[in-house]
Amino acid sequence: MKRGLSTIALAAAASLGLTGAAFAETTVGLLLPYSGTYAALGNDITDGFNFAIEEAGRADAFAIVREDTEAKPPVGLAMARKLVLEDEVDVLVGVVSSGVLGALRDFVDGAEVPLIVANAGNDAATGEACSPYIVRVSFSNAQVNRPMGQWLVDQGIGKVYTLAPDYAAGHQMIEAFTEAYAAAGGEVVGGEFTPFGQTSDFGPYLTNAGSSGAEAIFVFYAGGEAISFVKQYGSFGKKLPLYGSGFLTSPLYVGAEGEAAVGVTASLHYVPTLDTPENKAFVDAFKAKFERTPSEYSVQGYDAARTLMAAIDSGAADRASIAAALPKVSYASPRGPVEIDPATNNVVQNIYIYETVADGDGLTQKVVGTVEAVRDEPNGCELQ
Amino acid sequence: MFHQTATRTLVLLIALAGLAIYATSGGYFAREIVVEIAILAILAVSLDVAAGFGGMVSLCHGAIMGIAAYAYAILTVKLGLPNLPAAVLSLAAAAIFGTLVGWITGRTTGIFFIMATLAFGQMAYTTIFKSRWLGGDDGIGSLSRFDLAWLGIDLDDSLVFALYALVLLALVYIAAAWVLRSAFGRTLSGIHANEDRMRALGVNTVIHRARALGFSALLAGVAGILAAQHTLYISPQLLFWTVSGEVLIVVILGGLGTLIGPLVGAVLFVLLKHQISDYTDHWHIVIGLILIATVLAGGRGLYGQVEHMLARRRPAPEKPAPEKPGPEKKGLSHA
Amino acid sequence: MDAGFWVLQLLNATQFSMLLFLLSVGLTVIFGLLHFVNLAHGALYMLGAYVGISVAASSGSFWAAFILAPIAVTAIGAVLYVTLIDRLRGAGPMNQVLVTFGLIFVFLDVVRLLWGDVALSLTAPKSLSGAAEILGVSYPAYRLFIIGLGAVVMASLWLVLSRTQIGAMIRASVENEAMAAALGINVGRLFFSVFCLGCALAGLAGVAAAPIVSATTGMGISILIPTLIVVVIGGLGSLQGAILGSFIVGFIETFGAVLLPGFAAVLIYVLLAAVLVLRPEGLLPARG
Repeated sequence: MKRGLSTIALAAAASLGLTGAAFAETTVGLLLPYSGTYAALGNDITDGFNFAIEEAGRADAFAIVREDTEAKPPVGLAMARKLVLEDEVDVLVGVVSSGVLGALRDFVDGAEVPLIVANAGNDAATGEACSPYIVRVSFSNAQVNRPMGQWLVDQGIGKVYTLAPDYAAGHQMIEAFTEAYAAAGGEVVGGEFTPFGQTSDFGPYLTNAGSSGAEAIFVFYAGGEAISFVKQYGSFGKKLPLYGSGFLTSPLYVGAEGEAAVGVTASLHYVPTLDTPENKAFVDAFKAKFERTPSEYSVQGYDAARTLMAAIDSGAADRASIAAALPKVSYASPRGPVEIDPATNNVVQNIYIYETVADGDGLTQKVVGTVEAVRDEPNGCELQ
Repeated sequence: MFHQTATRTLVLLIALAGLAIYATSGGYFAREIVVEIAILAILAVSLDVAAGFGGMVSLCHGAIMGIAAYAYAILTVKLGLPNLPAAVLSLAAAAIFGTLVGWITGRTTGIFFIMATLAFGQMAYTTIFKSRWLGGDDGIGSLSRFDLAWLGIDLDDSLVFALYALVLLALVYIAAAWVLRSAFGRTLSGIHANEDRMRALGVNTVIHRARALGFSALLAGVAGILAAQHTLYISPQLLFWTVSGEVLIVVILGGLGTLIGPLVGAVLFVLLKHQISDYTDHWHIVIGLILIATVLAGGRGLYGQVEHMLARRRPAPEKPAPEKPGPEKKGLSHA
Repeated sequence: MDAGFWVLQLLNATQFSMLLFLLSVGLTVIFGLLHFVNLAHGALYMLGAYVGISVAASSGSFWAAFILAPIAVTAIGAVLYVTLIDRLRGAGPMNQVLVTFGLIFVFLDVVRLLWGDVALSLTAPKSLSGAAEILGVSYPAYRLFIIGLGAVVMASLWLVLSRTQIGAMIRASVENEAMAAALGINVGRLFFSVFCLGCALAGLAGVAAAPIVSATTGMGISILIPTLIVVVIGGLGSLQGAILGSFIVGFIETFGAVLLPGFAAVLIYVLLAAVLVLRPEGLLPARG
């Protein structure tokens, strides 16, 4: 198990890793996909996580063991067990896909190991299936999409058509939006869930949307599907305005989407162009180190480390005390003020509504609305 | 025609003993790996029964395993049945699915059979993936293992569970070998070698092959229940066609039509993957090159190659295995 | 749902069918002639897309990518043929599966190492980025270009196969390889050329699809299944089979999405199973 068992300190290369681990105060298990479809997210989150620890000058205090979940639930669970039982990590960080989070839930809860979720948005994880050991610093699917309901109605858009991939996250995102949109007086006139990972041609769906009588389209797509969807939307002439969950035009993918993404408006918990001193400092430092703009995924990794360090600063040292300290954390993140809601262990954060606009040769994000301190209802979670 | 030669028995015993020692002396993760190997090996042995001896190269064995796992989850978690009868019913569900697929696809051969089984496997995958009752891609959790406390066995202990997995693997191998040596197995090999002749002899070849696929599916179901009890959580991922593809690779890598070869293939595949991924996230390229090298080295699979070499060194083995058909020869006949 | 709607969906279905055709025709012809199951065909498609993206990025021209990507993939295919494929022709389908699956793994990681994990994309040329008026509807010009490209490839392959000497040689070899060789046809050279042509078409499909879909490291594996379905439904080894299979799959997928969206994901497998149960060798097999 040599891989990844190294301190962040560059000097302590793999060969010295074991020695480094012996001196480190906290052992962290990074549980992310490093191969397969989601490898890009795993790497982005890892970069953000390491960056925060280096920035704080605390590389020596953490020993990090990295394991590849391949975004497959059985593999993720096997690796989590390995990290907890064999490497005896103090805390697990990571999990990109909701399926892996679902697989881990009972194990982490039973083993009483704190898990800081740095991506997976499954609503249940901080809802009816919440656990005192699972803290989420990223987002919940509902949290990101709910604010768009009221906002779209405020823009005078009364009828929309929805599209999302046919899997649990897609359903949760669209349901949260639909509920909020209907409550605000809007009407969803139609929608489809497209076969996940099997749909390369969105033309038929775009044509359906065009003849549905809707005034706009609201979608959730991520990764390769987001690129395909936005480009095909562009090629069909952008007949209806496109709104969506902000992953659609994430900085990670917007370059590949190109001109087609201009004018798309979406909601997300982080946008790299936020005009706050914390964010400017973060973006500049991140760009200087990695030569790219941080994405929401980098920030999730970054905030996972910040949250963990804040818990340790409050006196936590072992699994139980870290788990107890995590829900009390609050600080000013690059994405704005964040705190962990002790009622659900989900993050409370601003949701930004941003438009992708042309900026010289490239594209940038223009924030057009902010919904402050969005907090999820407990939804069956009984932590308090 | 299947022969449980002395070499095969020896390899089986060495593999099982080696894995047992590895699990006992190794740390927690070693046991995890042993269970992973056992699941893949059971699946590979079951696929070899169908593919190596019946010529039915199925691309739905992952789905069959998943059907057993889901049946187990539905019966225990959703319907509250006790674990043991639920497991028996789950094996039956897998066997019925396998028999039905074998019967419906009875007239297809070669790549058409592969694609037809893929179709049925993917139908099962899509149906479960889309079912919100079954949790869709979020899967089903809160499964449990057999309660063997009355035997003084605690399956929740990782070492005990690893040894339990090896026992299942041994039982599956013995069952497969026993059936293949029976009249049923000899008829199956006969159909594979010359279907027209067997039909002329009055065998209903479609029904016979369907039964054989059903038996293979029963064994694959054991892998499904083991997988469900191992992770205590199941997701549709188990049924996806790439799982079946991986098993097929393992079978060919180990040596199609040797029964023990696929088991050896599973051991090597899992160990290699873990070893390589300790050093690099790019383990695919290394595995890929190994697959290519295996074929260039002789094309009989790893174990098939060993047997081939042994047979050459000992022109007159004490336990003769008259027509020990290499996978290569079989493959060609169904080109 | 007016007439315009159905015209649009008809065009969508045709466009998708043409992309499937470009991919599957190479696979089916290679199978028909060489009896070789090239599972790495999808990986070659992926390479076409990625090479195209790099060429377009460095030259600034889509058309340079459009020409060079298929050539590059053909070169890769030629190397593969000489080093691996030729030796494996008699090695049996199981060994072919193992080797070409190995190639999928190798190409997957080569692409990850060279291009990274983030999905990429190619921009359609300016001249084709707008919409065109056709049959009373406005339709993306690039998609019409794909339809045209597919039709041109289809027509040329048909002409070559049915009207030229090479075509006659190929048909003779598909029908009876030994007889063809006995009649003095250089079967080895014919195989090499056909394999390269198949690779060129896979590369062409990759670069042509890149402006529509995103290029991801998983695209080679995920496209494999639809391509195999087309080939198997149509019947292995025949051009007509590939054409028929492409149109059946393209239309089922498109109109399935329109009319039966809840079943869109499973329709294609039901179709595949139904065809194979009723016609165990596909609809239009090459050999009687």
